[in-house]
Amino acid sequence: MLRRAVAAASIALATLAGGPARADEILVGAHMPLTGSLARSGQAFDEGMRVAIQMFNARSEKHKIRLQVIDDESTPAKAVSAVEKLVSDGAVAVIGGYGSNIIGPASDASNRLKTTYITAGAVSDELTARGLKTFFRINNNAGYQRGMGALLESLKPTSVSILASTKEAPALLAKGLQKDLAAKGVKVTVHEFDPAITDFKPVINKVKLQDKSDILVMSAYENDYVGIIRAAKVLKPPVKLIVGAWSLATPKMYSEFPDLMNNVVGTSFLPFPVEMKDEEGKRFAETYKKTYNKEVEYLSTLSFVETTILAEAIARAADAGTLKSGGLPDAMRQTERETLLGPVQFDATGDNPRFSVAMGQHRAGKIVLVSPAAAATGEIVFPGLPW
Amino acid sequence: MASLESAPAVALKAAPARSRVPGGAALGLGLLVLALLPVLMGASNYMLGLLISALILSGVALAWALLGNLGGMVSFGHAAFFGVGAYASALLSAKLGLPVLLTVPLGGLVAVVASLAMLPALRLSGPYFALAILAYAQIFRILATEASWLTGGGAGFQRYPGLPNVFGLDLASRTGSYLLLVAVVTLCALAYLAVRRSHVGLALRAIAESEDATRVVGVNSTVLKSLMLLLSAFITGVFGALNAHIIGFLEPDYAFSGVWSLMPIIAAIFGGYRTIVGPIGGAVIIYLFDQVVAKSLIAVGHQIILGFVLVVMVLAAPNGLLGLVRKGDRHA
Repeated sequence: MLRRAVAAASIALATLAGGPARADEILVGAHMPLTGSLARSGQAFDEGMRVAIQMFNARSEKHKIRLQVIDDESTPAKAVSAVEKLVSDGAVAVIGGYGSNIIGPASDASNRLKTTYITAGAVSDELTARGLKTFFRINNNAGYQRGMGALLESLKPTSVSILASTKEAPALLAKGLQKDLAAKGVKVTVHEFDPAITDFKPVINKVKLQDKSDILVMSAYENDYVGIIRAAKVLKPPVKLIVGAWSLATPKMYSEFPDLMNNVVGTSFLPFPVEMKDEEGKRFAETYKKTYNKEVEYLSTLSFVETTILAEAIARAADAGTLKSGGLPDAMRQTERETLLGPVQFDATGDNPRFSVAMGQHRAGKIVLVSPAAAATGEIVFPGLPW
Repeated sequence: MASLESAPAVALKAAPARSRVPGGAALGLGLLVLALLPVLMGASNYMLGLLISALILSGVALAWALLGNLGGMVSFGHAAFFGVGAYASALLSAKLGLPVLLTVPLGGLVAVVASLAMLPALRLSGPYFALAILAYAQIFRILATEASWLTGGGAGFQRYPGLPNVFGLDLASRTGSYLLLVAVVTLCALAYLAVRRSHVGLALRAIAESEDATRVVGVNSTVLKSLMLLLSAFITGVFGALNAHIIGFLEPDYAFSGVWSLMPIIAAIFGGYRTIVGPIGGAVIIYLFDQVVAKSLIAVGHQIILGFVLVVMVLAAPNGLLGLVRKGDRHA
């Protein structure tokens, strides 16, 4: 019995010991929700990271990076364990997963282990308020708020109805938008809904009969968008435009729900068909298409940018000889460059204050960037509805 | 009351067999092995982190088994007590500045207060009780979401104190948290043992055998079962509170996640819910098996392996791992 126990413990130890960094490579770790309800998002993030590493290794002769990804199963404790395992395997930095409830504890653990942590999947202001020296993120709630707010203001509505999931990121965004629009004199009504809700007809009825708003704003996720627009298509509230947030203005949404998406507006970085203005973007789109046989996705673009920035900072720290002596956070703070998401530069809290999204409108299978003017690839159709 | 009627006879008949090996000694030995594991494993942060998660699950599994075994009630809503304990402790420490080592048991007490609302459900039996308590967990999740002025709502609650230093031992460190959890699990297991060995425990086992007959001889079954619900809620709340201070982030979907109701049931049944060591060992084994062995074999989708193992386990050993070990001992 005892021998069996010792043998089992040995196997466990051997398993844990697996996967250290090879001498000629720099190991970067990542934890992503590759299973569970957020698996689709985690998969998209994973693809973007891998393409970024592939492109970095192709252009860098001095430094080669290897990526090790662990499924965090969208569980904080497992994300923390993943960070600890990655660091014990020799990872010089960790790329975070999705959701502030995961990123918070995981980046705390990373900070305790003095390891740089970057994310594109958490927008809570609490994360940057901690003042961690090793924490960085490229996107934030303020950027989404700016992007959506700029579009809404330009359309000059008298009233707006916001349907907001009570989940963390949508709730924050709705609160911010409500404050900004109300300050501009727009009448805003927020309808919060539980993420478990699938029938949105009662709340759409409120928009139709009580609010009678000009614009319907959705601060939510993919399944919610579909439910809301489907209910709106049945009840036809007197709105002139439907605007949503992340993961809405994507080719995938149109291909899956062509009857619901036309003229709907959502946050976006790229038009579709993809028109890359710069060399990096073109190479990303080509490599992505070659590797995964599909057009680049919204979340993949986010993770591509964060991974590229991290890889470049690693190269800078390695060149300066400070990579193994805690110099990576300083190298990260030297970042100042244009990316597919716009400019990226980190402040003292690790946030990217220059982050702002563009807005894209579904147009018969295409996505036209309609706001801000500097990024626009076409005029907005307004009024414009899917029905 | 709920549907554990099939097993009490086994439990009562098995009592003399257990008396050959003192329960306290077996419990002490098992927990000693647990305490030594970090040393044997080289005390890496990763392994300690896994053990900490497993021990939190152990505590909730123990509380669930206590309610099921002694109270005769199947609960699908322990997430309610877990979440209430977590939020109570985090809020008391952050808003009132109370020391964390005080707010953790207070979190358990608030979970007890919350469980008082469940007392009317004790009149229900079988699946009706299970459904009522399942709905109860949802009510608290929604309350935590809506009371955003207090809990931060869906945006979550983060800036609250972690575990403190005690006599030079940093309880927030992996080693400190692990030792604290071993101590708390041991205390809870000993409390369970004390209840089971007391007259109350005897009466509860008799209630499980025949509630009507026990009432005839003057036992107030409702009061005793209520006490088990309160004790189970307290233990679950304490582990919820500990988890909150170890993880350092709370949001309603996480604190009241169905995982806190489901996984303890799986762990307790896997280990043997009619014993004390069973739920603890079951939680540690399935968590480590899933995260260390299964995950190394199938990095993505490793839960399939755990699912197969559980199905085989339930078919081969309906009394859990401990039942299987005892069966093996008898055949040897």
